[in-house]
Amino acid sequence: MSIELFLEQLEALAQEAGKAFSEAADPDQLDLARVEFLGAKKGRLKSLQKNMGAVPGDQKKTAGMKLNAVKNLIQEAFESAQSRLSSAGSDGQPDLKFDATLPGETFHVGRLHPITQTINELKDIMGRLGFTPADGPEIEDDYHNFEALNIPRAHPARDPLDNFYLSVAETTSGNDSALSGNPLLLRSQTSTVQIRVMENTQPPVRIVSLGRVYRPDTADWSHYPMFHQIEGLMVDENVSLADLKTVLKLFASNYLGDEVPVRIRPSFFPFTEPSVEADYYWDGKWVEFGGAGIVDPNVLRAVGYDPEKVSGFAFGLGIERLCMIRHQITDIRYLFTNDTRFLHQF
Amino acid sequence: MIVSWNWLTEYVDLAMTHDDLVDRLTMSGLNHEGTDLVDKDQAIDLEVTSNRADCLGHIGVAREIAALYEIPLKIPDPQPATCSDSVSQFCSVEIEAEGACERYTARLIRGVKIGPSPQWMQERLKSLGIGIVNNVVDATNYVMFECGQPLHAFDFSKIQDGKIIVREARAEETFEAIDHRTYQLAPGMCVIADSEDAVALGGVMGGADSEVSEATVDVLIEAAYFDPLTIRSAARKLKLHSPSSFRFERNIDSENLDWASRRVCELILESAGGELLEGVIDVGSPPPSRESINLRYRQLQRLLGIEIPIDFVAPTLEKLGLVIESSDENSVTAIAPSWRKDLTRDVDLVEEVGRIYGFEKIPDDVNVPMSASYRPKADRVVDKVRNVLTAAGFDEAVTPSLVPQPWSDAFTPWCDSPPLISSQPMLGVLEEYSHNIGTVNLLRRSLVPSLLEVRRINDYRSNVNVNLFETAKVYLPSDGNAIPDQPMKLALVSHRDFFAVKGVVEALVRELNPLAAVEVKKCDEALLDASQSGEFWLGEQRLGWIGSVSESAKKQFGLRSAAVVVEVDLRVLEHQTQLIACHANQSPFPPVSRDFNFIMDDEVRWASLEATIRSESGPLLESVRYLETFRDETRDGPGKKRVLFSVVFRSNEATLTGAQAEELCNRIIANCTNAHEATLVG
Repeated sequence: MSIELFLEQLEALAQEAGKAFSEAADPDQLDLARVEFLGAKKGRLKSLQKNMGAVPGDQKKTAGMKLNAVKNLIQEAFESAQSRLSSAGSDGQPDLKFDATLPGETFHVGRLHPITQTINELKDIMGRLGFTPADGPEIEDDYHNFEALNIPRAHPARDPLDNFYLSVAETTSGNDSALSGNPLLLRSQTSTVQIRVMENTQPPVRIVSLGRVYRPDTADWSHYPMFHQIEGLMVDENVSLADLKTVLKLFASNYLGDEVPVRIRPSFFPFTEPSVEADYYWDGKWVEFGGAGIVDPNVLRAVGYDPEKVSGFAFGLGIERLCMIRHQITDIRYLFTNDTRFLHQF
Repeated sequence: MIVSWNWLTEYVDLAMTHDDLVDRLTMSGLNHEGTDLVDKDQAIDLEVTSNRADCLGHIGVAREIAALYEIPLKIPDPQPATCSDSVSQFCSVEIEAEGACERYTARLIRGVKIGPSPQWMQERLKSLGIGIVNNVVDATNYVMFECGQPLHAFDFSKIQDGKIIVREARAEETFEAIDHRTYQLAPGMCVIADSEDAVALGGVMGGADSEVSEATVDVLIEAAYFDPLTIRSAARKLKLHSPSSFRFERNIDSENLDWASRRVCELILESAGGELLEGVIDVGSPPPSRESINLRYRQLQRLLGIEIPIDFVAPTLEKLGLVIESSDENSVTAIAPSWRKDLTRDVDLVEEVGRIYGFEKIPDDVNVPMSASYRPKADRVVDKVRNVLTAAGFDEAVTPSLVPQPWSDAFTPWCDSPPLISSQPMLGVLEEYSHNIGTVNLLRRSLVPSLLEVRRINDYRSNVNVNLFETAKVYLPSDGNAIPDQPMKLALVSHRDFFAVKGVVEALVRELNPLAAVEVKKCDEALLDASQSGEFWLGEQRLGWIGSVSESAKKQFGLRSAAVVVEVDLRVLEHQTQLIACHANQSPFPPVSRDFNFIMDDEVRWASLEATIRSESGPLLESVRYLETFRDETRDGPGKKRVLFSVVFRSNEATLTGAQAEELCNRIIANCTNAHEATLVG
């Protein structure tokens, strides 16, 4: 084969390939053209390359250079067509087969339980107000759950029917723990943590305790035998109801995301004196926030503090109530059924 | 406690509006729960806290109003006329059960004519929603709602021998109450008996037999003080709660018995006629004396946080019924009235003065000193755990701490001792499907069974891809009376396969301590599949368990598909947690990566193979990565597997040469061949 013919063929191939690539309307067409011209085994460039053997020896160098140039040309034409089609819409036809509105691959981020979310938020707010989280046992003894909290033996809260008193299986001689000296029970309030912290810490004390508490109510839409409480305690020299009211106002305003009025009104709890109920004003009415008060001197004495030297306030709120109001949950049992469709809402 | 507006006007002038009144009452301790219009009256529902038995009658509420509005309080002074016969000639009272009944008084009215009670009395009782009976019974109810002292009227002809005995109920004793139901009494309960039978359940309800009826002519009026605890436990055991028991439970005024007795006699004489016998039978112990209380004015400022004018203090206490004994510029000394047993200390008086002065005057913008709080390590660890698990697609569950026996027994890896038992079961916490599983009264020793139940619930509701975790305490019994160990655990239940879940745990451990490595050892737990299970270890500490739920356990827990569970000890995780990570220099030189494909026996565990690979590789070995296992019995023979893994070498000092890499590879090949009879492929 003469060099002229070979170069001619190369030229023609370059033109044909350029045309085919530039006319390809979609990646499938382009791929067909690529196989036709650039295919590794039966591509037309490859076939043409074989003709080079027939070119006279002294002209092989020129033929080789032209071959390389055409090869690059075709490759470039292919790449530019490829980039044209991949950026469809920029100057080519949009690829109707690509549906950008299809959903992305499912990626489920797990949800924290709404109770945990509420607790975290309350703990956060209290943390900013200087209250450090404190943990305590859920199984408590009578002393910490009642006695040290100034709840006398005759108080209705200590009725065995109203508490989960505990005993160990297989003990001898019917050890009814509710009757023994300092029986164990599931704590009925997080105030027990106050006692444990104060027993081991000198004032000033500023803690918040959170967790599960237990009372044997039959479960219904608004009751559950297990629920959660948050309890704040601050003891120092000269802590008064004004400090309590200030902290509660900051707390409620922070939680609700807006400055809200807070009021306190007299109430009764054995472990505080004066005792108050705190309400916040929201949506045109007063909403019960929780119980609070000045720590009763008997409680301070029980932990070895001198009520003449220090005073303190304590408050406790039910987490479920706050959580249910906030998320408009209508039945407390949903919280403990853990249907994933329920959990995924929060 | 429902109070009638009209009734209150008997004791105080209500010149204020209804709304103003209920606001003031709410802000001073009687929370307004609502008001109903009844005929021409307003029935105001007030919440009375358990320390304020005095407000369980109109006079008590009126006294609060008088103190709040600084207006006079008018209390009737009943002085019913008597005849010449004395009550003691016809009647006697004996208290056997002294613990249950401190004081008992009786008066006798002869010759009453039973009929309707006066219109004004009926109207007031109706306002409170109290049923109308007759002129005697209505009068006893009226006085109870007037002053808070429950009273009872007996048909005297039904009292055998005119003899009242206050005694403990006998075993097996039965009693028919006014509601015409028969109650099984028990020792510990207090009955009012005549010489033969119980005629009333003391402080709770009268008997059907001695009830005042149209045939009644002579009436015995009881005004007594019963022990709150005795009344409460009797009412509770018999599920028989009455306005009387409600008041006695709250510790009524034991000094007011005689006033109430005279008052009801006066009202009965007015509407039913008859004659009151002279005198009163009054047995039992006299009311305890009341101590004086010293209130230092500075306590007001110290505890309330506001300054209250000194001249406000003593008059307020007097309005509330305290008797001022003395006062000076620093303090006031007073004795609380008999109806305020809750006032015994200075701090109690601080509350009284404060609430009448008005808690709304306490500021809510004082300077509370700043204080830095910190987050305990346990909290931070749990937060990290929750972050990893939610990122891994796990939702958080919260389940009850008590479980029924079959669940309690199903998985007890942490503890061999039997569970703690609760005196009360949790009621209503099981789904209908699980109702027959057992009483929910055992403190759980593992979270896993609870999560399997949650998984079942979700399976039954056709929820897919259920991956859940819970962090909570478990309860491990200890010897003696000590508080039991209550460590925090983390449990997972997942639809994914064993290695997907194991990978989550490994990621969790890495998050808490990048240098810690979890090891898996064999375990033997019936809940878990015999081969797809293991114990997690972190160094010398056992971290927990992982496993596919065994076929039998799947059946037990009603699972429709496979599940993998994990339970780990958060204390061990916390112990291993490195909250502050440390930097190590990164090598600037390129890595050399080599893949290996060995044929070996199925028995060879990856963990030991990896240990062999690492054994002599030294610091140049950067990582060993497992790739895959496959089996080809025709080529390799039975019981053989091919394990592919990739090893990366890198030096901190120089680019590795081909010869160095070659030598390291040869050492790995030789060690694997020697230790595991492994043959390198290709």
